[in-house]
Amino acid sequence: MRLASLRGSLVARLVGVSLLLLLVVQMAGFAVVQASIERNARAQIGRELDTDERVWRRLVQQEADRLRQGSALLAADYGFRAAVSSDDMPTIESALANHGARIGAAVTALLDTQLKVRVMSSESGGALAQTLADVIPALTLNPTGSQVAVVNGLPHQFVMVPLRAPVVIGWVLMGFPIGQSMADEMRQLLAVDVAVRVSDGDSGYDIPVSTLSRSALLRLSQQSGALQELRTANGTLLVRSSPLTSVGVYSEALLLRSVDEVVAPYRQLQWLLAVITAAGLFLVVVGNIAMARRVTTPLRSLLAATRRLSKGDYSVAMEHTRRRDEIGKLARSFDHMRLDIARQQGEIRDLAYRDRLTGLPNRERFRAALVDALEQRSRTGGAASGVSSLAVIMLDLDRFKHVNDVLGYACGDRLLQAVAALLAPLAAAPGDTVARHGGNEFALLLHCDRDGAMAAAVHIAQSLETPIHFDDQNVDLSASMGIALWPEHAQDADVLLSRAEIAMYGAKRHTSVALFYDPALDLASAQTLSLLGDLRHALEHGELRVFLQPKVALHAQSGAAAEALLRWQHPQRGLVPPMEFIPFAEQTGFVRHLTLWIFEQVAALLAQPEARALSLRVSVNLSTRDLLDPELSTRLSSILEKYAVAPESFCLEITESAIMDDPQRAEAMLNRLAGLGFKLSIDDFGTGYSSLAYLKRLPVSELKIDKSFVLGMLAGTGDVQIVRSTIDLAHNLGLSVVAEGVEEGSLLDQLRAMNCDEAQGYHIGRPMPAQDYFGWQSGPGAAFGASATPSAE
Amino acid sequence: MTASFRWQSFRTVFLASVCAGFSLAGWTTPVEVSVRDPGGRPVAGAIVFLDSAAARKAVQPMQGVEMAQEKKKFLPDVLAITIGTEVLFPNHDAVRHQVYSFSPAKKFELKLYKGTPSAPVLFDVPGVVVLGCNIHDLMVGWILVVETPYFAKTDAAGSAILADVPPGSYRLHAWHPGLAVGAPTHEQALVVGAERAAKAVSVSLGGLTP
Repeated sequence: MRLASLRGSLVARLVGVSLLLLLVVQMAGFAVVQASIERNARAQIGRELDTDERVWRRLVQQEADRLRQGSALLAADYGFRAAVSSDDMPTIESALANHGARIGAAVTALLDTQLKVRVMSSESGGALAQTLADVIPALTLNPTGSQVAVVNGLPHQFVMVPLRAPVVIGWVLMGFPIGQSMADEMRQLLAVDVAVRVSDGDSGYDIPVSTLSRSALLRLSQQSGALQELRTANGTLLVRSSPLTSVGVYSEALLLRSVDEVVAPYRQLQWLLAVITAAGLFLVVVGNIAMARRVTTPLRSLLAATRRLSKGDYSVAMEHTRRRDEIGKLARSFDHMRLDIARQQGEIRDLAYRDRLTGLPNRERFRAALVDALEQRSRTGGAASGVSSLAVIMLDLDRFKHVNDVLGYACGDRLLQAVAALLAPLAAAPGDTVARHGGNEFALLLHCDRDGAMAAAVHIAQSLETPIHFDDQNVDLSASMGIALWPEHAQDADVLLSRAEIAMYGAKRHTSVALFYDPALDLASAQTLSLLGDLRHALEHGELRVFLQPKVALHAQSGAAAEALLRWQHPQRGLVPPMEFIPFAEQTGFVRHLTLWIFEQVAALLAQPEARALSLRVSVNLSTRDLLDPELSTRLSSILEKYAVAPESFCLEITESAIMDDPQRAEAMLNRLAGLGFKLSIDDFGTGYSSLAYLKRLPVSELKIDKSFVLGMLAGTGDVQIVRSTIDLAHNLGLSVVAEGVEEGSLLDQLRAMNCDEAQGYHIGRPMPAQDYFGWQSGPGAAFGASATPSAE
Repeated sequence: MTASFRWQSFRTVFLASVCAGFSLAGWTTPVEVSVRDPGGRPVAGAIVFLDSAAARKAVQPMQGVEMAQEKKKFLPDVLAITIGTEVLFPNHDAVRHQVYSFSPAKKFELKLYKGTPSAPVLFDVPGVVVLGCNIHDLMVGWILVVETPYFAKTDAAGSAILADVPPGSYRLHAWHPGLAVGAPTHEQALVVGAERAAKAVSVSLGGLTP
């Protein structure tokens, strides 16, 4: 592990590089020394071998001289000469043997004046005769010299001296082996090894004489040809060859000197050098490591510090900031960076966990606080701290959207701040948290039991009863609160939160101030959650129906009219009222599918002959979502094409609020739809805040007065005037007017008197299945539309 | 093999022709022999002699012949003598000599001596006697013992004069110490007539070692 960390580290690299450089230098020096030692040694050995060779030749010459002297002695012996003169063979023979033995000659012979062997004393026998046949002529040519020839595998030196009485009457020849004794003498004299090689007639050699060790000798015997050096197990020997043979089979003396013996003293010097090098390397390593440590130890500490930083621990200050060198600068710079990052991190965390508007913790922070609190509870075993339960109160301001719409966002923001200020003091116990949970949603985490939570809720409700006052305006606020308790309602933070939320929605529905979570509420919300799936299923399995509510013309006008309404025939729940799924569909955007579906159903209906006969015009409601779909116009026109229905057969109804959500895009879409030929109508007119002046800009041709105003006419309040003036105003702007909610016959007359163009309501006809509509048209509807039937005109 | 002169055969011839020799005794003729080597160069110091039965009969021992040793040399180095001659070996040097011969014609040894040994050495067998000194290896002398009174030594020009040769048929022999030891003498036939004029003969002598 240490080794692994060393690899690639600065220390290793520093030490490695300097070691490498030093090694290279030392190796180069070593190589030069080695080469020069080798060269010098070889030169020295070469000189020694020169000397050896001279000495060897001299030794051979001396032997020859000695032999010659011995031979001369014999030749001069008077008795011998007398014996030769008298042809006394036994005497001659014994004299030869005697003299030969005296000087160690291997061969002694007497030749006559014709150089024929007369008597010979030797143990060599037949082989010798052949050799002598070669040697004698050579000796004759140079009588004072000597000749070397091989006899029985061993070189012999031969000399010949004349036998005079006093003229030459014969020759004495003697041969002497160049044998082990000579080699040993050389070895003793000069400490040089000697080997005698005799050609075996083939490419190889025999070595009859040698002072070499057994292994070296074996090595030598494997060599053939000329030799410069001999490599043996004990080192290299330089070889000098000194030819011996002058006649016959080739033989030579090899003088061998060991290079290693010469080099040995230098080797010791080299060892010393190696030891010094090793010591130097060691010192370099130690020194470098020490130096590198000075650098890398602070680096490592900085490394550890950066690791801490990357883990988000900014609390530990850097070390080595006091150093004056570069490391110190680096450390100081790192420390600055640590502080800066810590500060920025704090800001980021603050941004992430705090709501900028109210200064309260945000949703994430609240959830984290809740998780912490729950963990703490479970750690301490719940009962350990006095209060064992937790309460989460979810608070939603009612009608806040209206406040925003009426007073503007700036006011809405100030209102939220005021509510935050109101709630903040409730976080009394340690760990209590008040957070802004969403747009106009607040959440409270209180360490209290059911009663405490209820008390807090009541306190909040009472506080909100006092109108909030700012900029000369009083704003009445109310809130719905849901309360979920731990551990009673949920064990888990997220479940606890969602259950508090469910309770809150429950409170909203029941228009109560605060509700504790109840599983029954959950069931309702579960129903809501499954609604989308059900709705999708309903659309795909034909559970949806299009109902038509008749509209009648109050004055003589051509054509019949109706509003298409969606009904859901649920297999289990029966007929589901539109209010239970339409808002939901709008919320989720599924309404777009519903709109297109109705539109297509209506188009199919209009394509029927009955509808064509009636020149029926059907109104279809568009929601905000529809208007914001940029593909809406193309989708609708493709349906028109499919059924070959004219766009004029449709009236598209849009509520004021649908337009006001994104006026620009809505206006663009309305223009496009109008361009296609659709008739456009403003639905529920009077409930919103749009002005007629604004509506005038839009390509609408119809207003539908909200039924609240129409019904209000019965009560005889100011609604009559509103309706009348609205009708007048609309007519002035060139718009036709439809009154909704006509539930009494009297209203019909009133509206007719006010010049209202069309009317719609239970008094005229409830929404009915499309097929029933044609029956109604020819039945009850005829009563209203007597004046309206085109045929009557 | 050891002796090249066939003296025995000569002797029988001599006995058979003794009368003829006498009858011609009154007239003599000088014979001039010129000895040259095969290259034509004159050979000095060669001994030429004529052999015949009559010549053998006429031979007489010589008197007062000496083979001296002077300056460690034999003087003369080549000496021709007739058979039966006694030779003295006076030593004129300050050092002693020990003269010997291993030659078949005469083997002898004069023990280490100074001055003239009292007893002369008798050479009674024809042939070549090689003399040496056992003290001084370089001393070599030759004595040629001939069985004829007609012999001479060639001069520097290679010629020798055999004076007073009676007419007759002879074998002309030529010998030189340069011939190998034991080698036969050169031999050729020579007829000497009754005329008074000198007779010139040339001999080509080969096989000499310088």
